[in-house]
Amino acid sequence: MSSSRAAPSPGAPHSPAHPRDGFDPQRVLADRVEQLYSQMPLGMLATLAIGGIATYELWDERTRDLVLFWWGLVLLVTAARAVLYFGYRASTRKLGEGAQWLRWLAISALANGVIWGFAGAVFFPSHTDEQQVFLAFLLAGITSAGIPAYAASWPMFAVYAAAIVLPFTYVLASFGNRLFAEIALLVPLFYLANVGIAHRLNRVFLSGYRLRHAYDRLTDDYTRLNKQLEQQIEDLLEARQEVEASGRKLALFAERAPIAVFEMDANSTILEINPAAEDLLGYPALELIGRSALHALFPTDEATFNAQWWARFIADKQPANRIRARCLRRDGLELVCEFTLTPLINDAGDLVSIIAQCQDITQQLEAERLKKEFTSTLSHELRTPLTSIIGSLQLVNSGVIGEVTGEVSELTLVAERNAQRLLDLINDLLDIDKIESGKFTLFPEEVSIGELVQESLILNKSFAERYKVALVVRGELTPARVRADRKRLMQVMTNLLSNAAKFSPEGAAVEVCASSAEGMVRVEVSDRGSGIPEDFRHRMFTRFAQADSTATRNKGGTGLGLAICRRLVELMDGRIGFENRDGGGTIFHVELPKLVPAPAR
Amino acid sequence: MPERELHKICYVEDDEDIQRIARLSLERVGKMQVEIVGDPLLAIDAILAFRPDLVLLDWMMPAMDGPTLFKRMRETTELRDLPVVFITAKASHRELEELRDMGAAGVLSKPFAPKELPAQLRAIWRALP
Repeated sequence: MSSSRAAPSPGAPHSPAHPRDGFDPQRVLADRVEQLYSQMPLGMLATLAIGGIATYELWDERTRDLVLFWWGLVLLVTAARAVLYFGYRASTRKLGEGAQWLRWLAISALANGVIWGFAGAVFFPSHTDEQQVFLAFLLAGITSAGIPAYAASWPMFAVYAAAIVLPFTYVLASFGNRLFAEIALLVPLFYLANVGIAHRLNRVFLSGYRLRHAYDRLTDDYTRLNKQLEQQIEDLLEARQEVEASGRKLALFAERAPIAVFEMDANSTILEINPAAEDLLGYPALELIGRSALHALFPTDEATFNAQWWARFIADKQPANRIRARCLRRDGLELVCEFTLTPLINDAGDLVSIIAQCQDITQQLEAERLKKEFTSTLSHELRTPLTSIIGSLQLVNSGVIGEVTGEVSELTLVAERNAQRLLDLINDLLDIDKIESGKFTLFPEEVSIGELVQESLILNKSFAERYKVALVVRGELTPARVRADRKRLMQVMTNLLSNAAKFSPEGAAVEVCASSAEGMVRVEVSDRGSGIPEDFRHRMFTRFAQADSTATRNKGGTGLGLAICRRLVELMDGRIGFENRDGGGTIFHVELPKLVPAPAR
Repeated sequence: MPERELHKICYVEDDEDIQRIARLSLERVGKMQVEIVGDPLLAIDAILAFRPDLVLLDWMMPAMDGPTLFKRMRETTELRDLPVVFITAKASHRELEELRDMGAAGVLSKPFAPKELPAQLRAIWRALP
């Protein structure tokens, strides 16, 4: 299971990326080494004790030197083992150097075995029968004590036991005694049996280590997973709190909104409505929830919201804005409402529900209608008397009903001019009202700028003559065409020309030119007036703007003309402006997008 | 363009002052023969009796407005092809377009210039098929 796995580097026994990828052989080795070394103090004590007893028992005159030598050997090897043991205990790199410590221990085990092997081989032949029995017991005990001591490494036990048993077996076999020879045959069998037991024990130990490691690892994994789980639970709780908070926010929005809000399903069944919707329709929520909005809320002849419209809306899944429809209140009263419908689509693209917002615009429409009626009536009621006044004065002044002379003629002319001013003011006010309420409709057509300029000069000729000013064309008029409302563009030209005439000195000429360049057509009206005062320039195109009140009295005009002109020109996608003219006076210009001529067939 | 000159005009208008000015304008400036009708409810009979070349119709009148009278005329066989010109103080572009769409020969706005009115009517007359 772990043989194919690369050994982890020292100090990094765990690889968190593979928490369940088997046990770690290096750690198993370290555990085995630890187990082996932990047996050493007991082993060394046993060696000294048994060695001491053996020295005392085997002591006699003949073998005194040899026994002393052997005892010295026991002390030496034990001392060396003690050094090894304390060296191991002091080591800080047990884990990385497990194999090395194992090797040293194997050497020490061999040395230990050799001492006892030596004792068996040297003292058995030279001692008495009783002492021989003592030795045989001693060796058998020493050998079997090795099994638990070296249980963590059966080869080590094999080496240790071999060092004891082999010399002894040889001595027994070569003794010349039949019984001893038979024992010599049995000893290797005992040896093999012991090694076998050690091997089995070793496997038990090993699997114990593995289990422990697996358990450790599982515990680690478990702890880690537990932590992850806790974190996830915490995150989920936080997310839930956020969702709840935003849900509360939404609910609050809907509940407190002055606009009626409905939630419907794809069959227009009402799922929920807010208090504003209850107020608007006069139904308590419970009475509407579960009913089809299409059937409950709209008259049967409603043209906008019908089954066909709804089916298309559900199929398109696109928001529908500012849909106007008549709506039935619970008491039967009809309201005009403006609806905004938004399909709620989930990530899979399926329709979840439809959110509808609805506003009662009945009163707004009524106010608009009243205003329109008022303006229309006002316009009619003002124009009717003016028709009589201007008509009468014109007839008088034209002389068709008899000659009028002297001061009477002067006064009737003043009256006509001022009646005309009043009419201009009414027209301008109506224009401004229409433009600013967004109700102004242009009727654009293809217009030749040159022709329109020519026509405007003819129309305004008599007006200019009143101020003894001539209207002249300068240069060639462009043949370019624009898309514009002819009547309204003429209104702009008339305004610019009459302004120029009014503010020109007597005997001067107002010059008009029309050119085209870079997609634009430009008309210029240049006068030789006194120019525009610096502090007035920025107010030129605002309403009721006139440079000074004396000018108003002298020249007439409503102060609305240029404001209307600018809005008209802008409605036709153009620009209007002015600049000082070299040598005195002002140049007004109007620029309009040039119409690209249609390709010839 | 009709073969004969425009000569006989019937004007349906409720405002007496405007009636007077229109009469002066058309008779003195335009040298035309004019019949003024003050009550639109009597207009059809008056037009049938007077047999004008062209009818001038005010829009806003009590009892019956100009467009309604215009429809009535269209329903009367003898008057179906009679050219009708509206003269109105209504300024809205849209309303003027509506009148043209209804089949009016022309639309003039009030206040009108008495000096120009006959010429304007003759221009409309000449533009007729």
